[in-house]
Formats: sequence, C-alpha cells, structure tokens
Amino acid sequence: MLKNDNSIDLQSKANQLRLDVVQMVHGAKDGHPGPALSIADIIAVLYFKELRIDANNPQWEDRDRFILSKGHACTVLYAALARSGFFSIDECRGLRSLGSMLQGHPDMNKTPGIDMTSGSLGNGLSLGVGIALAAKYRKKSYTTYVVMGDGEIQEGIVWEAAMCASKYQLNNLILFIDNNGWQSGDSIEQVSGLLPILPKWQAFNWHCQTIDGHDFTQIINAIDQAKKSPQPSVIIADTVKGKGLAYMENDNSWHKRVPDDEQLTIALKTLGGDVNE
Amino acid sequence: MSNYKGTREAFSQALIDLAQEDDRFVFVSADSLKAMRATAFAEKFPDRYIEVGIAEQNAVAVAAGLASCGLIPYVGTYGGFITMRACEQLRTFVAYPGLHVKFIGINGGVFGGEREGVTHQFFEDLGIVRSIPGITVVAPADAHQVYQAVKAISKIDGPVYLRAGSGREHVVYDQETPFELGKIRVLHKYGNHVALFANGFILYRAIEAAKLLNEQGIQVTLVDVHTLKPIDVEGITAILQDCGAAVTVEDHNIIGGLGDAISKVSTEHCPVRIERVGLQDVFPSSGPAEEVTDYYGMSVNHIADAVKKALQRK
Repeated sequence: MLKNDNSIDLQSKANQLRLDVVQMVHGAKDGHPGPALSIADIIAVLYFKELRIDANNPQWEDRDRFILSKGHACTVLYAALARSGFFSIDECRGLRSLGSMLQGHPDMNKTPGIDMTSGSLGNGLSLGVGIALAAKYRKKSYTTYVVMGDGEIQEGIVWEAAMCASKYQLNNLILFIDNNGWQSGDSIEQVSGLLPILPKWQAFNWHCQTIDGHDFTQIINAIDQAKKSPQPSVIIADTVKGKGLAYMENDNSWHKRVPDDEQLTIALKTLGGDVNE
Repeated sequence: MSNYKGTREAFSQALIDLAQEDDRFVFVSADSLKAMRATAFAEKFPDRYIEVGIAEQNAVAVAAGLASCGLIPYVGTYGGFITMRACEQLRTFVAYPGLHVKFIGINGGVFGGEREGVTHQFFEDLGIVRSIPGITVVAPADAHQVYQAVKAISKIDGPVYLRAGSGREHVVYDQETPFELGKIRVLHKYGNHVALFANGFILYRAIEAAKLLNEQGIQVTLVDVHTLKPIDVEGITAILQDCGAAVTVEDHNIIGGLGDAISKVSTEHCPVRIERVGLQDVFPSSGPAEEVTDYYGMSVNHIADAVKKALQRK
C-alpha cells in the first residue's frame, strides 16, 4: 500500500523498532543490536513512508524491493515487517531458534516480506542490480533499495556491482550506506583503507548524496532527489552505531552482544513503545 | 549432421531456440559472449543480453536478482570462474533460495582447458557443485547432447550446472538422441564382465576402449552417466548387480566427480570392486587436448587396463 500520510510519527515508529530489536536480542540471547539501531531511522522511513508494498501480497510483482545487504542487522527489518503487518509481532520471539521463520540472517523463502536472502557481506548491491535490470526489461516502475554497511563495501563485488549499475544507468536503484564508522573488528579507519567513501562513488559515476542518517527530513529528501537522478544513486548516511541508547552508542562491543535485564529496562524507559516479551 | 561446431555453439543455438519461445530467458555474460559463441543471441535479443564485464561474482549475483523477478538467466563462462570465483554467490544466493538460474561452465576438464594450462583447465567444477545442496549437475558427452541438455534443464525450476567444452569435443551421439535428465543411458551392452561408467567428453574414449576390449574377448556394459546429481541410483545399482565390477571414467579430478558418485551408490546399494580413471589429484601441464589427456592417465589404453584390473579382482 502507498503510505503518503506525513503525519505518521516516524520518530516514535523508529523508537518502537529499536525497542523491538533490543527485546528480540535479549529474548534470543543472540544477535547484532548495534548495527540494527544505526539504520532504524532509515528503515522507519522506508517501511512506514516510502516503500510501495502490500503486506497482504508479499510477492506483488510491482512492489518496491528492499535488500538488507548488511543482513546481520536483520532484527530491525524483522521488526519493521512485523509492524507493517507481514506477520505477527509474536514471531519475533522465535528469532534465531530452530525452525523459526526469522533466521539468523534474512531468508527470502522463510520470511514474508523479505525480497532477497542476504547476510554474507557485499552481495546485496549485485542482487539489487539484477532486480533493477529486471524492472527495466519488464518495464516496471518499482524502485530497488539496498542498505549496506560502510564496512561491507570493502568487499570487491560491491565495486563490480557499482560499475555495472553505472553502465546500465540504473536510475531505479537507490543504495544507502550506513556510515557508522565501525565494522566487526574495530573502526573502519583502523581496519581498512576504505576512506574516503564519497569520491569512490563519484568516480564510479553514481549520483551521490551525504546526509545525517538520523534526520527524517534529510532521509526523505534524499530519496526524492535520488528518484530524480538519471544515474544509480547512493545516499551516504552518517549514522551512530547503537543510536538511541546511550550505553550502546559508539561502543563497538555492541556489534554482537546481548543486553542484560537492566539494559533492557533502560531501553524500555528510553524508547517507550509496546513491550513484546 | 549438426549445425553447430561444438558444445558452445550447441549451447548458443539452444538458448536462442528457448528465447524465441519464451521471453523469460536471458543471458548473463562476464565478458564471455564470444567465448560462449553467443554473439548471435545478443544480436537477436539485445535487451536480453546482460553484460557485466569481467566480474563473475557480480554475474552470478545479478542473475540471482533477475531470477527473483521471474526471469530465467543462463550464466555462461569458464567453469572454474563460475564454480570457484563465484562459488559463494552460486551457493548462497542461487542454490540456497532455489532460484531458477542455469550455469554453463566451459573448458571442462583437462581436455577442455588443454593448452591454456591450469588456470583454464577446470577439473574440480563438478565436485564443487555436487557438494552444494539443491543443484542439478550434468555433464553431457557432446554437442548434440549439450543442445538437448540446455533445453532439458530449462524445465527444472531451480539451479543447474552444465559442463561444456572448448571446441575439441568428439561427436558420439546422433542429433535426435534425447537427453533424459536423471537417467543413465546404456550405450552398448557387449556383455556383463565389467560395468564401464563414463560422462562428459571423455565418453568417446570409453567407447573406443569398450570396442578394443570386445575384440580381446572382454565384454563391458558401457553406460553414460550424464546426470551426476541427482544420480540414477536405481539404474546404476541394476548395472552393478548385473556386472559385479565397475570402472569409472571421468575428465575430472579423481576426488568429487563420477568415481565418487558411483562409489557412493555401490557402497550403499551394491558393493563391488571399482577402478577409477581420472586425473590423479595433480595439477596438469598445458598440452594438446588428446596428448595431455593421455599423459594424465585417461587414454583409451588406461581405460582398457582399468577394466582388465577390475575383471581380475572381480
């Protein structure tokens, strides 16, 4: 369904997603809360405002597509799908358990609303290029969105995909880079030779924007601008890993870590929203 | 006679024929259009020719994206670049979701890579894909069978790896012989002294060996095992029961291919002595196709000797 109601309180939606993430990881005793919280605001904009999707028809062929290339952040996507009506929020209690529809990383055949299996880093952009090319060939008007981590763009296949998207002028492809400055092992700066990010995408002939990835207006405007570009578009979203919870922000130990009962209580107080545990 | 020179031309013609009937068929190239002899496809269907450049990982993942939208991509390039360079994309984004992507891997075997040397001789491809759940694996014997097989695999709603060659393949089948997926084909039953199983382009050598042995009074049952996965357990077991000894012939490393597949069936259903002809777990040299294949233990005489050994130990 198209969601044009600008009165939706995106901040409260994003807070609810964050709380869902913390509760899921706390309940499953496993997961990646920090990387999920850094993209919660982008996910909120996509799922509660931008994406042309229908929870009652997850395979609708004209739907917008979304690929969470940084699949380890899937808890926030699962929360968004549940809160959008693709499945019951109760399913979130099964995260990472045997036989659950919510696998450790996204699985397109097990979870309604997941457009593409993901999780091994770097691959989501190529998958998105394929989906965007299919739209061109079939003359479909849907947009393909991909979210990647800043760390994962160290993978070589990302740049194979970047070349390909540029060659085919895939103006129906929008990439968000979750630029939180951290990767599994340490800071991006310490681990890799990746920086600076922006000129690399400029050199690959992409339409490039840099925004505050926690500012809803900037996220919405950037998507509008991206849709007007004749080129594939990258939105480098400056974010804070663990955003929304002071004890988690910029502490990379939360890349993969389970909140204790006290930390869950703090999350409940800080974020409000519905409790699901 | 055929209207194509080798397995690559046969692939190209089959894909054109499929594409004329159904607009879901597309070709994904990693700068492999010419290598796959698919230029005519690109000319006929320019909007269905997707060229990603020298980037096999991207080619396979792009194909997965296309397939997720209902298209049927054929990815064609050198077998090792599909199964090794892009192995993870094939496994995680095509096989795991069960997407309708077909892989055509050329330069299969020592014979297929020959003068190019190890970088372009691919003798691990079948073993690699066999070990991944959910993939159908086929190794047709010649251009006619490749043509039939490319069409046959289009009907499988899931991933398939098909091994093709580099133009030196001998023709062993007539044009009309169908390619029956999942079933062995008994080419010639001279007798039941030993079962002789082969697949791929080396089948012509097994045919020669079987003739030679027959002249020497040793009568084999010659079998083409073109579908390596899922393997025809029932058909193979019946042959093993009849013959009581077997030889496998493959242009592949001795680990992971036909010899392993037949041995597994034998171990579980009909234990018999088995001799294996294939590349003996070494990296080969460059060399002319026939010569290099002979040198690495896959000559007609090597096959005949293996049959005699199997018979002695029966």
